[in-house]
Amino acid sequence: MDLREEKVGGVTVVEVKGRIDSTTAPALGARLTASLVAPKVRVLLDLSRLEYISSAGFRILLLAAKRADEAGSRLVLCGVSGKVRQLFDLGGFLDLFTIVGSRDEGIAAAG
Amino acid sequence: MRKPTGIIYGVDEAPPRMVVALSALQQLGVMSIFLIYPVLIGREVDGAPRLVGDLVSMSFLVLGFGALLQALPRGPVGSGFLCQPVPTAIYLVPSLLAARQGGLPLVFGMTAFAGLVEVALSRALRKLRPLFPPEIAGLVVALIGLATGAVAIRATLGVGAPTTPGMSDAVVAAATLGTMVALNVWWGGGLRLICVLIGMIAGYGVTAVLGGFRQADWETLAATPWMTIPRLDHVGWAFDASLVIPFGVAAVAATLKVIGNVTTCQKLNDADWVRADMTSISRGVLADGLTNTLAGALGTGGVNSASAAVGLANATGILSRQVAYALAGLLVFLAFLPKLGVLLFLMPSAVAGPALLFAATFMFVNGLEIMTSRLLDARRTFVIGLAFMCGLAIDFFPGAFAQFPGWVQPVLVSSIVLGPVMALVLNGLFRLGIRKTQKMVLEQAQLDPATIEAFMETSGAEWGARRDVIDRASFNLTQSIETILESCDPQGPLEIEASFDEFNLDLRVSYVGPPLELPDKRPSNEEIMASEEGQRKLAGFMLRRYADRVRATHKAGRSTILFHFDH
Repeated sequence: MDLREEKVGGVTVVEVKGRIDSTTAPALGARLTASLVAPKVRVLLDLSRLEYISSAGFRILLLAAKRADEAGSRLVLCGVSGKVRQLFDLGGFLDLFTIVGSRDEGIAAAG
Repeated sequence: MRKPTGIIYGVDEAPPRMVVALSALQQLGVMSIFLIYPVLIGREVDGAPRLVGDLVSMSFLVLGFGALLQALPRGPVGSGFLCQPVPTAIYLVPSLLAARQGGLPLVFGMTAFAGLVEVALSRALRKLRPLFPPEIAGLVVALIGLATGAVAIRATLGVGAPTTPGMSDAVVAAATLGTMVALNVWWGGGLRLICVLIGMIAGYGVTAVLGGFRQADWETLAATPWMTIPRLDHVGWAFDASLVIPFGVAAVAATLKVIGNVTTCQKLNDADWVRADMTSISRGVLADGLTNTLAGALGTGGVNSASAAVGLANATGILSRQVAYALAGLLVFLAFLPKLGVLLFLMPSAVAGPALLFAATFMFVNGLEIMTSRLLDARRTFVIGLAFMCGLAIDFFPGAFAQFPGWVQPVLVSSIVLGPVMALVLNGLFRLGIRKTQKMVLEQAQLDPATIEAFMETSGAEWGARRDVIDRASFNLTQSIETILESCDPQGPLEIEASFDEFNLDLRVSYVGPPLELPDKRPSNEEIMASEEGQRKLAGFMLRRYADRVRATHKAGRSTILFHFDH
C-alpha cells in the first residue's frame, strides 16, 4: 500500500494505492489518526487506486470515522468503485460513510 | 430482469400498436434482402418466374410460422425473443449443391434433415455446453455480422451485378444509410424507433425521383396478381447420404448462430445479464430446427434465426415479442399477396444494402462483446483468433482452398461455416490438458497476496471463467487466508484447491487448526471497532455472503472451508 498526502485548500487529501489488509491497515490507521488529531479538520480519503480492502481495512475506516465525529471533524471518501465498491456494499458500509464520486466532489463535500 | 439503458421496449413489454406495426414493417424490410436465397435456389434449377414466386411465397409462410414459434414465451418450443428466421447463407451452399445433384426434391429433403439435426442438437445442448462456450457463440455472431456486412456492401457497390452502379445509386445509398444513422444517433424518441423504415422509404423516394426504377420493374409488379393461394406443385422430397456432411455442418453452424442470437437477446434485455440461459437457448434451437423441417416439408430453402433482426432490434431499442407476433401475421399475409412480395423483391440494392449494413454493424459489435465476456488465456485467444482468421481467409482468398480434398470442401464454403467449425475443433483440442482442479500449497513463510490472486487469475483464464466470479473467489481466498493466519494459528502449510466446470466453481481452503467462524449475521459497528474479534466476525460474515454457498468442517484437527460459486 502506498499513501500520498496533500493539502488542497483546507482539506487534507489522503490517496491510497494498492491493498488495505491486516498487514497494511495499521499504517493507514496511523496516518488517519495523525490527520484527524486536531479538532474540526477535513480529510478526504481518495480510494480510486485502491485494489483490495479486507475486514481489517474496514475496521480502520470505522475507527477513523468515529474519531472524526467525536472531534467535530469531517471524513469523506471518494473514488469508491468497481470491486472495492462491491466490498463496501457486501459489508454494509456504503451508507456508513460520506461517499462521493470524484476527488473534486470530495473536496467540495469535505470543505 | 432489469432493462438496460437504451432499450425502449423490453421483450415482455407491449408498445403502442402503431409502434408494433411500424417495427414489424421495418423488420420485414431488413429481412427482404435475404429473400434472394430462395430465388437463387430456384434459378439453380432453371425455375420459371412462377416457380421462383412459389418458393418465395412458401418462404413467407415458413418465416411467419418460424417468427411465431421462436417468440413463444412458454411451452417446450421458442426462445421467447424477437429473433425470427430468415432464408440463410448457411444453408445456401449445400442447397445449391443439392439442387445440382438432385433438383428441388433433394434440396427440400436435405433441408428437412438439417432441421432434424438441429432438433437433436437442441436436446443435447446442456451437455454440450462446455463445447459451446460464450466466446464461440460470440465468434459466430461477429463472423455473421462481418459476412452480412460483406453481403450488404456487395449489394450496395453492385459487385457481380449486371450493371455497374452510377452516381444516382451512390446518392440513394448515402441518403438511405445517412437517414438511418442520423435518426438513430441524434434523434431521440419516436423516430429512432423506426429509423430503418424511414431510411428505406427515403431510399425508395430518392430512387423514384432519380428515375432509378426500370419500366420492367413496374411491368412485373403490374402483372403479378394481388392475391393467390400458395401452390405446392413443386414440392417433393429426396435424400442423399453424400450430402449428410454439408447439411450436418450447416445445421451445427445454424445452431451456433441461434445460440449467439438468443444469448444476445438475453443480454440486450437484462442489464444484469451474467450467463446464458440454456433453457431459452435450447427452446430457440428447437424452434429453428422445427422451422427448417417445415421449410423442407413445404418446399423452400433452409432458414435460420436472423442476426440482422437482433441487430435491428438493438439499434432501435424495440425488443418486444409483440413485434414478432405482428411480423408473423404480416409474413403469412404476404404469402397470399404476391404483389407485395414482388415490391419487396424489387427493392433497389442501394436501399437494401445500406439497411443490411446498418444491422450488420450492431451484430458485429455484439459478437465482440459476447466473445470478451470471459477471461481469455492463450488457449482461448488462439481458439478465437485462429478461427476468426481462418474464417476470413475463406472470404479473402476463396480460390486458395480449391485444392483441398473433396470431403473437406463442405466446411470451406464460407467464413460462417469454417470459422465456427475451426473454433469447435480448436476448443476441443485446447481443452486437452486443462486441469479441472488446481491445487496450491502455501507455506506460511511464503504468503503473498499477489501469489494468491495470481493463482485465481491464472486458473480462471485457463478455464474461461467469468470475471465477476473469479473476483469474488479471489476475495474469499485472500480474506479467508488472512483471517485464518490471524485467528486460527494454523500449524503447517495451507492447502488450496479450486475446481471448475461450466456450472460451478468450488474453492477449498484446508489447514490444521481450529475452524473459522462464519456468522450469518453482520456484527455491529461497535463490535467491529471494539476488538479484532469483531473484525474477524466481519470477515467471516463477508466470506459467507460473497459465496453462493459455504461449508466449514473440522475433522481430526484439520479444518476445511468450502466456498461454492454458481457459474
